[in-house]
Amino acid sequence: MSTKQEQLKAIFIEEAGEIIEKLDVDILRFEENPTDFALLNEVFRGVHTLKGNANAFGFSRLGGFVHHFEDVLDHYRSTKESIEVEILELIVNSVDLIKETMTCELDALPTLPAAYESNLEAIKALIAFKKGKPVEPTATTTAPAVLGDLASEFGLGCTDQYEQLLTQAATLMATTQEGDERIWRIDLTLDSDSYRRGVDCFVFIALLGEKAKGIESVFDCEKIPALETFVCDQNFMQHIGIVVLTAQSRVEIEENFEFLEAHEYRITPIDAAPKVETQAVAVAQAPVEATTAVASSAKSTIRIDTNKLDELFDSVGELVIAQNFIAQNEKIHAIADESIGRTIETLSKITKRIQDRVMSLRMVAIRDTFDKMKRVVRDTSKKTGKALHLNVLGEETEIDKTMIDSLSDPLIHIIRNAIDHGLEADSAARIAAGKSVEGTITLRAFHKSGSIVISVSDDGRGINKAKVLQKAIAKGIVTADENLTDSQIFALIMQPGFSTADAISDLSGRGVGLDVVKTSIEKLRGKIEIESVEGQGTTFSMVLPLTLAIIDGMLVQAAGEIYIIPTLSVVESLRPEREIVHAFQEKGEFISLRGQHLPIVRLGAYFGHEERRIEPWEGILVCVETEMGRIALMVDELVGRQQVVIKPLGKALARQREISGGAILGSGDIALILNIDALSPHAIEMSHA
Amino acid sequence: MQFDGDALTIDLSMSMQEIAEFAAFVRPRLEFIERIEALEGSTLKRSALLAVLVSIKRAKPQIVIPFLEAGKMHNKHYGTMHFICAA
Repeated sequence: MSTKQEQLKAIFIEEAGEIIEKLDVDILRFEENPTDFALLNEVFRGVHTLKGNANAFGFSRLGGFVHHFEDVLDHYRSTKESIEVEILELIVNSVDLIKETMTCELDALPTLPAAYESNLEAIKALIAFKKGKPVEPTATTTAPAVLGDLASEFGLGCTDQYEQLLTQAATLMATTQEGDERIWRIDLTLDSDSYRRGVDCFVFIALLGEKAKGIESVFDCEKIPALETFVCDQNFMQHIGIVVLTAQSRVEIEENFEFLEAHEYRITPIDAAPKVETQAVAVAQAPVEATTAVASSAKSTIRIDTNKLDELFDSVGELVIAQNFIAQNEKIHAIADESIGRTIETLSKITKRIQDRVMSLRMVAIRDTFDKMKRVVRDTSKKTGKALHLNVLGEETEIDKTMIDSLSDPLIHIIRNAIDHGLEADSAARIAAGKSVEGTITLRAFHKSGSIVISVSDDGRGINKAKVLQKAIAKGIVTADENLTDSQIFALIMQPGFSTADAISDLSGRGVGLDVVKTSIEKLRGKIEIESVEGQGTTFSMVLPLTLAIIDGMLVQAAGEIYIIPTLSVVESLRPEREIVHAFQEKGEFISLRGQHLPIVRLGAYFGHEERRIEPWEGILVCVETEMGRIALMVDELVGRQQVVIKPLGKALARQREISGGAILGSGDIALILNIDALSPHAIEMSHA
Repeated sequence: MQFDGDALTIDLSMSMQEIAEFAAFVRPRLEFIERIEALEGSTLKRSALLAVLVSIKRAKPQIVIPFLEAGKMHNKHYGTMHFICAA
């Protein structure tokens, strides 16, 4: 396959993936509101594009399936017939099958998904049945008879007819095209408030018409409601296609639309029809215009390989380090020249701006991930037979792109867990608890103290603390004499092999899930917090850093080495009074802080550095939150707080769990980033050995 | 706008305000209107009027609106305009 074909195939794969992802979301939205035929139309358009692309690339098995599926959608969108529950299920399952078939095609697997044939047969049978039986349209969806007849006369759906009319217009214009005239297609998708903004498509048609040799337009009136619900100042004209034959350039055409939003219009050159004599001129011009078109569309969005983005980010990281080096270099500081100081300051500002902008390139809204979760909620709800309502909040919250992919699995598990175990077993139990029959799952994303929190809440039975503790003691995870806080008890359910579920379902309950979730979140430098009130519900919160590439850290010095403690874990730092420090034989040193006894970990000793042993009240204690409770890290000095670019460690250090990465400081020195949770279990004995 | 028995004749070049008045006029009288004609020589100047007419047709499919049912119209300023909607 040539490189060009490979590139096209890569584009197809990417686009098909996007279409299928959107299908997945739209089909669920349609399932929630099966009378939203505009949405069904949207689904149809996606499927139609997918069919064409799949067949073009020889993915005939995918193309074949999608072809028949398209017939089903076309039937319902044209007749507006109400869709039975089992047909909705067939449609939803078909989207699943499209996803699976796509994977088979991409991997060139000889086999197809198990349900391929049966689903295809069901679709074919449905279409045969529908075609054999006249369909009664629902009373509320009466359409203009003549307009409908026109469409059916040509055997066309609305979209087909719309496209065909525009194509016919372009073909006709090509026969009269001469000189430097070009044929352009303009698609107007004006917002519903356009009339209130004083914008009407007729104005643009008239403006274009003034300087055109020929102009033809097609109005898609599909979304116009019946008079009862019609609002005069609202624009219901969703799509207007205009074909114009003119000698005007793209820029001149574009000037007509300067008061529109960028998403409200699209200008595309149309190549001349092949049989026209003047074709040579048009074709010769096409590449030039195509280049212009690309340049113009680049104003809005462009696709970038994420690897290139990562490389760019790495380079900016190096720039930040170099800039810090200059800013903190004592020799440069010693130069008594004001202009050098000002230049360094300017460089610092510019570097920060570049860093922020490059960072923002990696940030994407969490909406798509949440949309996928809607499907998980739906399927789990059906599987468990529990009626529930999903609340989604904060979909616009942005998160590092590299984190998004790793978040899906933990989220799926927590959601399934919330439905399967969190919510009461049945509606009778909910009614008995004074709750509504329908359970509520709330999915929320928000910013909190420089971190991103993604939480899953249920209004179910809550976690039975006593049961968790009893099980943990029985399994030897904790001992009966340990005095654990609520959050420490809740954290026990994320221990490997821990499950309080009496029965194992195929959704959860094997005790292999939450510990994997925890590990996945920790890999993202995040942590999980659990809050629960028995009888009222549970909230799992995943607290994540804004990005994986930069960490907000507290720089501390211990035994001459600089360490970085993630700010996310830091609770407070203090120089303790002598009276609150206690030492117990074989148990090490502790500090009594507001009724809590925190073990003191001497950081320098922990990492085996020789140090002059000082007393805790002579040093600084940094209290950090670990999964097993708070500990106090003893350091010599607080150096400061700053954002550092995380650098991976070499293979030798990568095995050391207490260190999660390294960073190059402005001085050129290397500092190690601490993995606080890995530090805690043996910290005490090590530091006091 | 002229109302003659069950037929309404309208000027297609209405302003936005006139379009709103027209829609308000038709709403309570829809059952009495059988036909809506365009005033000869008048030109459609706003898509809002087209939308009102389609919406009237949706509410009462048997109403006759020749200009709309032709599916297209031609005008020297706007060229050929096609109107389509799903059945």
